[in-house]
Amino acid sequence: MQVVIIGNSAAGLSGLEAFRKKDQSSSVTIVTREGEVPYSKVLLPYYLLGKIPYANLFTRDKNYYARLNAKCITGNVVKLLPEQQAVLLESGTLLPYDKLLIATGSSPVKPPIPGLSGKGIYHLWTLADVENLAPYYNKGKRVVVLGSGFVSLQGAWAALSRGLDVSVIELMDRIMPRVLDDHAAALLATRMIKSGVDLRINTFTREIERTGDEKLVLHFKNGKSLTSDFIIVGTGVRPNIEFTAGTGLKIDAGIVVNKQMETTLPGVYAAGDVAQVPSASGGDPVVHALWPTAIETGSIAGTAMASGNSRYRGSLNMNVTQMFDITVASMGEFMDIEGSESWTDENLPEDQYLKIVLKDGVPIGAICAGGSELISTLGMLRPLIREKVQLQGNPGMLKALLASNIAQHQQTFIKQ
Amino acid sequence: MRFITMDVTKCVVCRNCEYACSFQQTGDFRREDSNIRVEYYDDVKICLPLTCMHCDDSWCLEICPASAITRNVKTGAIEINSERCAGCKMCILACPFGNIHFDKINMVSRKCNLCEGEPNCVSFCISGALQYTESKNSYQNNRQIFQRFIENL
Ligand SMILES: Cc1cc2nc3c(=O)[nH]c(=O)nc-3n(C[C@H](O)[C@H](O)[C@H](O)COP(=O)(O)OP(=O)(O)OC[C@H]3O[C@@H](n4cnc5c(N)ncnc54)[C@H](O)[C@@H]3O)c2cc1C
Repeated sequence: MQVVIIGNSAAGLSGLEAFRKKDQSSSVTIVTREGEVPYSKVLLPYYLLGKIPYANLFTRDKNYYARLNAKCITGNVVKLLPEQQAVLLESGTLLPYDKLLIATGSSPVKPPIPGLSGKGIYHLWTLADVENLAPYYNKGKRVVVLGSGFVSLQGAWAALSRGLDVSVIELMDRIMPRVLDDHAAALLATRMIKSGVDLRINTFTREIERTGDEKLVLHFKNGKSLTSDFIIVGTGVRPNIEFTAGTGLKIDAGIVVNKQMETTLPGVYAAGDVAQVPSASGGDPVVHALWPTAIETGSIAGTAMASGNSRYRGSLNMNVTQMFDITVASMGEFMDIEGSESWTDENLPEDQYLKIVLKDGVPIGAICAGGSELISTLGMLRPLIREKVQLQGNPGMLKALLASNIAQHQQTFIKQ
Repeated sequence: MRFITMDVTKCVVCRNCEYACSFQQTGDFRREDSNIRVEYYDDVKICLPLTCMHCDDSWCLEICPASAITRNVKTGAIEINSERCAGCKMCILACPFGNIHFDKINMVSRKCNLCEGEPNCVSFCISGALQYTESKNSYQNNRQIFQRFIENL
C-alpha cells in the first residue's frame, strides 16, 4: 500500500506515528511545503519572547523519518486528483496514493483594510512569519496587533516582555471572544493594561498609510490614528483546502469527516485544523483549530488508514496560556447557555476566577483565570466532561471527591 | 518498572515527602516546589499523597507541543525536560490527576521524575504510606481507576 500524508505538523506526524504502530511495511510519503524537519507552531511566541532558542522550535530530529521508515519531501500540493488517486505537486510531480491523509492545517486571513500588506505587516502563524518578525522584536520598537485572539495576544505579550511599545486593536467590545467569557476576559484585560499594553476595544481600522521613514500609520474610524514600526495581523484563519477545489470533496467549515476521519472521497482522510470533526459534546461538528485536537484526530486517522479500529470520541476544546502575569484557561462549553447552571468558586480572591458550567448536573465546561493550580482543577474535570458524568455534591469539593474515590479504591493503587 | 505507590490509610500528613521532594529539586524546603502533594480533607478525614503515576499512555507526553516530555528508558519515569519546556501549560491541563505543577521561577512545568530511581519522598516517608515497588502494570490502569472514581461519585 502507498500512503501519502500532506503536512508534517501536529496532525500529519501524529497520523504517521499511529499508522506505523499498526503497519510497518506500507510505503509512506509525507509532503510539506515548509521545511522537512518539523517545528511546533505553539512554540513560536516563546521564541519571540526569548524563552526558547531557535533550535528548540524543531520538535523531531533528523533521523525521525528514517526511524519510522517514511520519506519526507518538500513540495506544494496544488491539486487532488481523486479519480487517479494521486496528488499533484507544483513541481509537476504526481504522487499516487492508496490512502491519503490531508493534514494541511489552516492559514490566517487578512481583513479587507486598504494598505494592509507589504513590508512590516505580518501574521504570527508559521516559522517564516516568525523569521520576519524576529528582527522587529527589539526594545523601543512599536507594534500594533490587530485582533485580540489567543495567538495575537501571545504575540503582544512576547513583544511587551521584550520591551516594545504594544497596542492591541479589537473590533469588538472585549478581548478573546472565543476563548474566554466576559469575566475572565475582563481580568486578563485589566492585567494587560496594568502591564502597559495600549488596549483599544470597539476600534475599527479604516486604513493603513506608509510614511517616508518606513513607519505605518493606522487610521481608525473614530478619527484617531496610531504610528507603528510593524503590524501583526491576527484576525482569524481558514482551512488550507485550495487544492481540493473541483473534486467534490464535502467541505463545510472544514473538510467534513466521520468518526474515523474519513472524508467523502474513498481512501481520503483529513485531520487537524483543516478538518471539521465530531464534537465531544455530541452537538454539531467543529473546527477547533487546537493542538490537542490535531494530535487526537491525526492519531485516529493514522490508525484507521492502517485498517485499525478507532473512533473519535469528539474534540473537546481546551485552551490555556499564561501571559501578562496571569494564567487563563477554558475547556468545553464554558459560556452560560440556555438550560445550564454554573458554579463559581467564591473562596478565591477577587483577581482569580474559577467557574464550572453544568447541565443537568453534568459538567460541560469550565474556565479559570489566576494561578496555575486552577488549571489542574480543569484537568481533573476533563474526564468528567468527556464521559458526561454527573457531579453530585459541591463541585468545589472536586479534589476531595477525587480523594475519597482513590481512598475507596486504594487497593487498586497499592496491590499491583 | 518500579512505581511510587501510596497507601492513603497510612499517611499521617507529616509532609516529609513534600519537603524531601522540594529539597531534591531545588536544594530548599518549600512545599510549593514539591512534585508530590499531600491533600488533607478534614471533613472526610482523608489525606492523599498525590504524585505522577507515569501512565502507560500518558496524555501529557502525547500532546506536549515542545516534545519536552519523554519516558526515561532506565527508570520508566515520564520526565519533563526543562530545557525544552516552553511553559505553555498544556500538560497541566491534560493531566487528569492534577499531578503536573508549574515552576514559577523558571516558568516551566515540572513533575515527579522518580529521582533517577531513588525517590526521595519514599526515603523520607515516616509511615510507610509511600513505597517504591516493582510491578508489571502499576498504574497502567490508572485511567480505569479514575473511571471508577467517576462511577462512584
Ligand atoms: C503562534 C501559534 C500559537 C499557538 N498556540 C496554541 C496553543 O497554545 N494551544 C493550542 O491548542 N493550539 C495552539 N495553536 C494552534 C495549533 O498550533 C494548531 O492547531 C496545530 O498546529 C494544527 O496542526 P495541523 O497539523 O492540523 O496543521 P498545521 O500545524 O497548520 O500544519 C500544516 C502542515 O501542512 C503543510 N501544508 C499546508 N498546505 C500544504 C500544501 N498545499 N502542500 C504541502 N504541504 C502543505 C504545512 O507546511 C504544514 O506542515 C497555535 C498556533 C499558532 C500559530
